Amino acid sequence: MRILMHELRRNAKSLLTWSGILMLFVVVGFAKFSAWYGNPEMLAMLDAMPPAMLSALSLRAFNLTTVTGFFGVMAAYYALLLAIAAVLWGSDVLAREERERTAEFTLTLPVTRGRLLTAKLAAVVLCALVLNGVAWGATLLGARGYAPEPALAPFVTRTMLALLMLQGIFVSVGICLAAVLPRPRRTVSAAVGVLLGTYFVSVIAGLDARVDWLKYLTPFRYVDAGVLLRQGALPPVYRWISAALIVTLLAATYLTYQRRDLHL
Amino acid sequence: MNVIQVEHLTKFYGQARGILDLSFDVHEGEVFGFIGPNGAGKSTTIRLLLSLIYPTSGSATIFGRDCIAHGAELRQDIGYLPSEVFYYEGMRVGDLLHYAASFYRRDCRQRLRELSELMELDLSRRVDDLSYGNRKKVGIVQGLLHSPRLIILDEPTAGLDPLMQRTFFDLIRQENQRGATVFFSSHILSEVQRLCSRVAIIKEGRLIDLQDIRTLQRDNYKKIHLVAPGVDPERLQVEGVTGLQAGADGLTLNFRGDINRLTGLIASLPVSDLTIEDLSLEEIFMHYYQ
Repeated sequence: MRILMHELRRNAKSLLTWSGILMLFVVVGFAKFSAWYGNPEMLAMLDAMPPAMLSALSLRAFNLTTVTGFFGVMAAYYALLLAIAAVLWGSDVLAREERERTAEFTLTLPVTRGRLLTAKLAAVVLCALVLNGVAWGATLLGARGYAPEPALAPFVTRTMLALLMLQGIFVSVGICLAAVLPRPRRTVSAAVGVLLGTYFVSVIAGLDARVDWLKYLTPFRYVDAGVLLRQGALPPVYRWISAALIVTLLAATYLTYQRRDLHL
Repeated sequence: MNVIQVEHLTKFYGQARGILDLSFDVHEGEVFGFIGPNGAGKSTTIRLLLSLIYPTSGSATIFGRDCIAHGAELRQDIGYLPSEVFYYEGMRVGDLLHYAASFYRRDCRQRLRELSELMELDLSRRVDDLSYGNRKKVGIVQGLLHSPRLIILDEPTAGLDPLMQRTFFDLIRQENQRGATVFFSSHILSEVQRLCSRVAIIKEGRLIDLQDIRTLQRDNYKKIHLVAPGVDPERLQVEGVTGLQAGADGLTLNFRGDINRLTGLIASLPVSDLTIEDLSLEEIFMHYYQ
């Protein structure tokens, strides 16, 4: 509990910054939306654009002149922002002990590595949860100005829950990389690299039906807001893959971190 | 009872040598010196004892229990002062020390206050604003605030001014009198001699000697440089003198034995300058094994 509180305090500034970024993103997003809102001419302009581009920007699945449709398009960017925060926090929470050489202090206290790991993980998960809540609240508040359809709130909630799963995956990716990689100084950049890699795979997967199978390789495709809107829930296969991924990554984290040399 | 028992402990970092087949034990209540040049494997040994890293082979026990399997529990009774002290940025000294203290079952508040006063710590400063020496002082308080039964010091005096070094040595002596066992790693022979009852000498990862301090002191070499124009160097060639050299800037020699014999002899010579210093550890090693 002490370690958890300590880690939360250490992460507080970052959480505040990210909350600010997300709120700003929502505000700017809705400001742009005012140009689309109830404006069929914009749709005509979209029709003139090449389909591959629309699909890359995930503009195809939604009716952009409604708040729900607009949020559906925005969801991909929510996903990216929340995932970046998650992977940064996950990797940094562990790697910084070695990078800043505080491991020699923290791990000579009478605490097992397992307990330390659990407390750090809990702190990061809590932060991810709060950030998700901030995004959810800011969206619903921002939508108020546009007479939202009754279906909007449940759709936003479902999407944010799906994004919580995505955050869980990337927290696990980050912390696992920190446990496994030999160079603490490079861990965070490696984690961001993995994230951007999977993000580009998700963009490519949507471009061409021949590489459709790529969608299984990237968590960003597991939480497709278009699918959520049409089907009302995520396909079970993605939920299972996500759960399996999280469990595997965390198991690898605990097994490795408890047995490896610290880099001092 | 042995507080620390190390058996055939070996550590490789990939291909690189850490320590090789190290075996020794530290008795309860003693101050055990662990000396060797940089890179000999002193910190590696300490980190293995604290299970910060894991051995390639061999084992170590502390208070009779395996230091890996029972690491966290054992650390309730271990105080550790690393050679370089790093703390969480942005934290105040007082908050940091109270945070550390909160992990021990014992109530450490009283001792924390005493030690902070002794070390003249300003508890309201931020740790990242502190100088190297002041961070070290925080490290000393943090390592001792829970009145540990085993104190592990890794080159503890680096960064401390001479006055603070003395305070620190007094403190360690008191802790030892209270019953704490002390494992003292250093590359400075003289400070080990001041405190320790036994000394292990480690070089290139191997234990090359383990001696009672009195034996080592008897073998204590001094390096002497004197400027004595017109004096025949042969007059200094007495028992205990080795490596006598006459140069343009005077005479240098190494001496082992009763220092009075030599100072008596020097007093009878027309000497214009004189320096007597301890041999560096490397020089001791070289003499030790001639």
